[in-house]
Amino acid sequence: MATTGATIKEAGHGGILSARSRDRLRRYLAAYVFLVPTFVFIGYFLYYPAYRALTGGFTFWDGFNAPEYIGLDNFRRAAEDQILRIATKNNLIWAAIEITLAIIPSFTVAALIFHVKRDGLRYLYRTLFVVPIIIPAIVTILLWRYYYQGDGLINVLLERVGLDRLTHFWIADPGTALYALALMGFPWVNAFNMLIFFAGLQNIPTEIMEAAELDGATGMRRLWTIEIPMVLAQFKLLLILAIITSGQNIVTPLVMTQGGPGYSTYTVSYYMYETAVEYGEFGYSMAIALLLFVFILVLTAINQRFIRD
Amino acid sequence: MARLSLVTRHTVLIVLALLALFPIGFLLINSVKTELAYSRDPLALPETFEWHHYSEAFDLIVRPILNSVVIVAISVLGIVTFAAMSAYAFTFMSFPLRRLLFALVFVLLLIPGVLTLIPLYLQIKRLDIFGLSNSWGGLILPYIAAGQAFSIFVLRTFFGGISKDLIDAARVDGASEWHIFGKIVVPLSVPVLVSVIVVNIVPLWNDYLLPSLLLSEKYRTLTIALVSLQGNALSHSSSQFGTLMAAYVIACVPLAIVFAFLMRYYVQGLTSGALKL
Repeated sequence: MATTGATIKEAGHGGILSARSRDRLRRYLAAYVFLVPTFVFIGYFLYYPAYRALTGGFTFWDGFNAPEYIGLDNFRRAAEDQILRIATKNNLIWAAIEITLAIIPSFTVAALIFHVKRDGLRYLYRTLFVVPIIIPAIVTILLWRYYYQGDGLINVLLERVGLDRLTHFWIADPGTALYALALMGFPWVNAFNMLIFFAGLQNIPTEIMEAAELDGATGMRRLWTIEIPMVLAQFKLLLILAIITSGQNIVTPLVMTQGGPGYSTYTVSYYMYETAVEYGEFGYSMAIALLLFVFILVLTAINQRFIRD
Repeated sequence: MARLSLVTRHTVLIVLALLALFPIGFLLINSVKTELAYSRDPLALPETFEWHHYSEAFDLIVRPILNSVVIVAISVLGIVTFAAMSAYAFTFMSFPLRRLLFALVFVLLLIPGVLTLIPLYLQIKRLDIFGLSNSWGGLILPYIAAGQAFSIFVLRTFFGGISKDLIDAARVDGASEWHIFGKIVVPLSVPVLVSVIVVNIVPLWNDYLLPSLLLSEKYRTLTIALVSLQGNALSHSSSQFGTLMAAYVIACVPLAIVFAFLMRYYVQGLTSGALKL
């Protein structure tokens, strides 16, 4: 119906073909007008910087003068760089802890809330776990810096339960600083992740849950045979996001320890940041960024490949 | 494996919820205590109430809070406006290179911010000629760019559920694309548009890196102010601890207000299934 109406209208203008193509051109143009703001913004603030980042690693670049092409020199330097090696090792440890903590506590809470029978109570629990999102992330970091201090909360609690000998300068000791930073944020229930898992659980068709109940699959067995397999898409999404996040730990070392003591809390991205911002070596910094980017990309691809839903 | 009893499950949930909420309690309790009371026992309830910590803290961070509110508010409005326009074009209009252009948006979801941080900073510096790099604009413009991919993705999924016949009928009646967008699609999408706004607010409100590279003293955001406040407090021993805790409490208020009214949009934004990749 709609098409005939349009044809008649076009025919009224005489010369069906030209009118139609003129009309089509106008519609194309209208579509591009809708897209222009987005593409101006992402072009200038994302694509061009990404291009600078990907090509900058092959240059000597002080951030002011034009970059000068130097081939693979920056990458050769990276291969020999002891600090980068330490940062990589730190980053891998931190990432392993961070990824585990991004997934397990949030999923556990989502699954527990999902099985609360009364709607009101379920809503209440969900709200309670979302509320901490109002605390700015930077406040969490600054607060944990106090918790970890010599006279901070952790040591106070240890003394109170009679474990005085365990008190420690948590972020001043190179042996514990990295773990202290990675374990920050106890009990690690992330509102965003918890809600994503919760959504996945809610999407499980009720027939499947009922059938499981009839078969006597409850508790742990239901968890392994139904709930985890059915929210694999959410696991995959959150795993990818956690991998990407774990490559971007700059703020925590920057604000808490400045990478110290020594190089004990350097991450690759913090080193990249410092190389550019403190030392003005933008070319080398971009080489590190490129290596990190490729590494994250490979991990993401592996994740995509091995977890299928 | 034995089935967890009902009591155990509720106990675990309640204990975890209390632990998750603990920082809020810690901040509230210690914000009104004297420094002496804090150092004696950081967990004890206050015996005296030093409300002046709040007025001192307020004076210190009111300006940065207003800066952050303005920056985040304008940014999320920009994000949702332009993302909705693009999502509209991608959903309801046909044009050459549509798939390629959408792929170009989608790929942005996979580019970690850390890769582009430093060149982005240099890129914003180049806007100096418009006096932008050291004012609000230096953050608002890149924030609008950063929010596009995720928001377009969510909005396109939602728009896809709107009846195509409705749009076509409006076109036959001679309605312009702007009219259809503004008078039909946007009114039908208000809840999801609000969700997109709320979901975008959180990371922008929390951002520390970009403002730390860009903004001059006058325009500094809340996150920058909080870090420098702690730096000052540390250099004066712990004598300003109560004020610092009060500042952290005040820093929670804006998001508390947003979530008091719009939490369900945040929850819906994440649980509506629009995020399934």
